[in-house]
Amino acid sequence: MIPSIDLPRPATPPRRIGGRVVANRPVSSSMIRMGIELDESSAFEPGQFCMLNLDGPGEMILGRPLSILGLDGADLDLVYKIVGSGTRRLGELQEGARVAFLGPLGVGFPLVADAAHLLLAGGVGLPPLLAWARSGAGPDDLLCFGGRDDGDVPWELLDDRWRVSVDRAGDSPDRREAFTGNVVEMARSILGRDDRPRRILACGPTPLLRAAADLARERGWPCAVSVEERMGCGYGVCRGCVVPRREGGYLASCQQGPVLDAAAIDWTRFAAAAGAGPADDRPEERS
Amino acid sequence: MKRPEWLDFDPAGPFTLGPRTFPGRIWTASGCFGYGLDGHDIAGDGFPTPFAGIGCVVTKTVTPAPRDGNPPPRVWDSGVGALNSIGLENVGLGRFLDEVVPRLDALGVPFVVSLAGTRPEEFGVMAELLNAAAAGIDLWHGVELNLSCPNVAEGGVDFGRDAGMVRRCVEAARPRLPDRALLAKLTPNVARIAPLAAAAAAGGADAVTAVNTLIGMDIDLRTGRPVLPRRRGGYSGPAILPVALAKVDEIVQETGVPVVGVGGAANVGDVLKFFAVGAVAVQVGTAIMNNPFAAAGAAKGLLDLEA
Repeated sequence: MIPSIDLPRPATPPRRIGGRVVANRPVSSSMIRMGIELDESSAFEPGQFCMLNLDGPGEMILGRPLSILGLDGADLDLVYKIVGSGTRRLGELQEGARVAFLGPLGVGFPLVADAAHLLLAGGVGLPPLLAWARSGAGPDDLLCFGGRDDGDVPWELLDDRWRVSVDRAGDSPDRREAFTGNVVEMARSILGRDDRPRRILACGPTPLLRAAADLARERGWPCAVSVEERMGCGYGVCRGCVVPRREGGYLASCQQGPVLDAAAIDWTRFAAAAGAGPADDRPEERS
Repeated sequence: MKRPEWLDFDPAGPFTLGPRTFPGRIWTASGCFGYGLDGHDIAGDGFPTPFAGIGCVVTKTVTPAPRDGNPPPRVWDSGVGALNSIGLENVGLGRFLDEVVPRLDALGVPFVVSLAGTRPEEFGVMAELLNAAAAGIDLWHGVELNLSCPNVAEGGVDFGRDAGMVRRCVEAARPRLPDRALLAKLTPNVARIAPLAAAAAAGGADAVTAVNTLIGMDIDLRTGRPVLPRRRGGYSGPAILPVALAKVDEIVQETGVPVVGVGGAANVGDVLKFFAVGAVAVQVGTAIMNNPFAAAGAAKGLLDLEA
């Protein structure tokens, strides 16, 4: 049984705000960092996300959900991955391009000052946990990031506190040593017999979240996971982005999540659903 | 935008449909705006809320018993339209009456309730229960019978394709709604839609809503598999606007039954196209998923038409 965890109530009401792209460049082989100057100021809590679309000609039918790395006044900092033609369109935006931002949306990660945390970030699951770590990671917290290989790791975003794993070992003479294996295996190996109570915060692909939940169950630790679901509206009206709930039915990941209590999820149905859909947000051949 | 010369009514004012006067002609389409309870705290585009200027919200479809809906993934952006396979997830009529209706009333949202059942008689029972619970609520304007949702394997779709069944469903609900507007939402997935509209009117409907989603599908070429677990879903968005206009035109030309147009409308220009073929009101649907202010923007666009 996974102990339940309290999640914060969103503090900043969402707004739809125009913005202008000021930077859009790769930070790893799979991740792109986009800077946007919004027309108005806003705020966010780590773990919250936004829906982003082009503004004007070329606008997509649906915006794309992107997690927020930073939002300081009008300066919005996003890190995303190209997974289909929609995010590819975002990746092609040049400086000065106009975009429409809807956010901040959803529930973020809980921040508890006196607790020890274990952060498990996989791939583009990094930004929300990086934002969380920047806002309040303590000395007892263990910060873990896993990528596919060396090129997949956004080294410039990770300070020395982050422990890094890669699925495939590669030559990285100028870089920090990385564990070979997945991020949860790395965390298990670092923790060893250390059984100090921790709170797990995880964000990444469903297999990582499931492994995080397994670890939480074994150790009796509370666990919050941020899910990466395909979304329609992002603000709760379409019920398109659901995650199976343990008591039956579904949770809307945009509104009740994207950060969810691992104890509230039906992991068997969730894993089955994760294998049912397409890998990307659109068949790329249609672009 | 300049007011078209052919527009011979006030597009921004109230209008009457059957026994009810609606505050405006821009509505939100069923399934695209939840129950009308969410999004009230969102501001933007010059609007204090996404509900500004909206004539009414047509709720997410409510069924007699709660439904979990379909397994995810449920939505897909096909590039020119959206596919969905929500599966009529809803809280069921009991909780809807106990919890949702009072909140809509408290929030001041004008609303039409979308109902779906599995037998014609069920529409009558649901309408009666709704009327008993909500008759005193002035913001409740009517009922839209969902006769055509293509996402549900049981019921629904068959009613909507058969004129006799359409009429029976409407006839079951009509006597239970003495002073509320009654609309039948029609499927476009038929060769001819006008006979369905005529059947709805013969059964006592005040108007028809045209059209529901088209049946659609998309394929992930890398796997050769459909993008939705249930293979086919409902197709909506700008790609279906010409289809919707043609279906509304067919109904208006052949039957004269009042039509609330829906299908791909995203802005005031699209809305005017529906008015041009004779629609009395227009619902905005998929566009609200991208922009919560799409319907409010269309309503303001009508208000701001220049003489």
